Amino acid sequence: MLLQLLPFGLLLGLWQASVSFGLVDRTFLPGVDSVTLAFLDLLRGGELLHNLAASMFRAFAGLAIGVALGLAMATSRGADRFFGPLVATTYSLPKTALVPLFILWFGVGDVTNILTVVLACLLPIVVSTYHGVKAVPEVILWSARAMGTPRTQMLGRVLLPASLSATLAGIRIALGFCFVLTISAEMIAAKTGVGKLIFLYGESGSYAHMFAGILAVVGIAFAADRGLVGLTNYLLRWHETVAVGGAHG
Amino acid sequence: MAEAHPVQMAAHAAREACLRIYPLVLVCLVWELVGRSGLVRPLFLPPLSQVIGQTGELLREGEIIEPLVVSLYRAFAGLVLAVVLGVTIGLVMARSQLIGRFLDPLVSFGFPAPKIAFVPIFILWFGIDHLSKILLVAFTCVFPMIVATHAGALTVGRAVLWSAKAMGTPELTMLTRVILPACLPQIFSGIRVTVPVAMITAFTAEMVAGGGGIGASLMFAQRFFQTPAVFVYIIVMLLSGLLCDRLLLAARSHLLRWEQAEG
Repeated sequence: MLLQLLPFGLLLGLWQASVSFGLVDRTFLPGVDSVTLAFLDLLRGGELLHNLAASMFRAFAGLAIGVALGLAMATSRGADRFFGPLVATTYSLPKTALVPLFILWFGVGDVTNILTVVLACLLPIVVSTYHGVKAVPEVILWSARAMGTPRTQMLGRVLLPASLSATLAGIRIALGFCFVLTISAEMIAAKTGVGKLIFLYGESGSYAHMFAGILAVVGIAFAADRGLVGLTNYLLRWHETVAVGGAHG
Repeated sequence: MAEAHPVQMAAHAAREACLRIYPLVLVCLVWELVGRSGLVRPLFLPPLSQVIGQTGELLREGEIIEPLVVSLYRAFAGLVLAVVLGVTIGLVMARSQLIGRFLDPLVSFGFPAPKIAFVPIFILWFGIDHLSKILLVAFTCVFPMIVATHAGALTVGRAVLWSAKAMGTPELTMLTRVILPACLPQIFSGIRVTVPVAMITAFTAEMVAGGGGIGASLMFAQRFFQTPAVFVYIIVMLLSGLLCDRLLLAARSHLLRWEQAEG
């Protein structure tokens, strides 16, 4: 654990040293000290928490709707037949490109933002759940049927648990997307949100505050990712191949 | 396997194609009808035919090709940087325990970070023209490339490494002649994942920060309520992404012909 923190310590030290010794201009790179102060200032003013809450609400509402829709699509033949080709055709489209359109339709605010996140989260969840369900061994289905599992319960009791690891892998990708999409949508147009906050500070030249906001976002994204990995390991503790961990796997 | 009758096979293929295309046709049809019916104002949803007409007009005025070239240049310059850096770092991390241990926490910290949040920093450091976009693309794409290469390099068969070593291969040659070719498939998968990311990052950065390119054109069209042009730019982004993915798949099957033998 301590060894893992070492690279970060080194990096922060290097950052502060290059600023302190005047190697880089303070206007272009505020020191660790001033960024920390700015961070505390943002916390005290409640500005950061307020905007973070708005952003997190959008990100997680979008993610939740995306997960639910994605699961429904991946496990229903009819829905897959219809939406499958549409999702496959639009996957290369940056979902941020839809923000201007959604602004026209729904105005600037939560709806525009959440809808963008939902669309972005759909693909990874659909694709991974679909492949996960497909990969469930026939033997398991046969045994479940032989033991008298009703058709209506096959999905919830057999297929989804058996493909859980694939679904969770998809959710992990979607989790990354939901932060990126929320923040870029907020940077394009929003009244609140941490993306907007960062951009405002950048434009007004309060770079220490801008750095503090960005680092807060990065920290939260990292914590959320770790949290999901922890949850995955807990949910899949019965699984033979729990292989989610650091970059090493 | 039973021999299928050619006619049956053709019929089957046609059916599959219809099944794949009908949702798209349906959506286009509904779009056109709703647009024409007057249920919604054309400002919100212009009919498809009007969007197609607008495409011709924008093409003639050079307002599609030029910004698209700018965006693609940024995306691919950044991608090339990311691939070169990512593959190098990934390989070195796999070969050297010390460097691997040092970089691993940094990579797993940087990987899930929403890199788009760094746009203001990149503008501050590198301005709003090509350089800041190229570097942002590189910064976004380098992490998946490192992870893909690293994972690939770790799975190179031990027997392969041992035989190479037994034949007296020096360390540098080991990297370039043995490990790099062996993990090319993983690197290629990494590139395939990263190409759309590169394009999306370039487009989004242009939308957020301006400075030309198709993303900036899109925002411009929206600001002046030129809804047909908004749709044109969205469709152009979609098609360019699809085309790049197709080209990449074709390149893969050409470059990695030897991989098929192993299954």
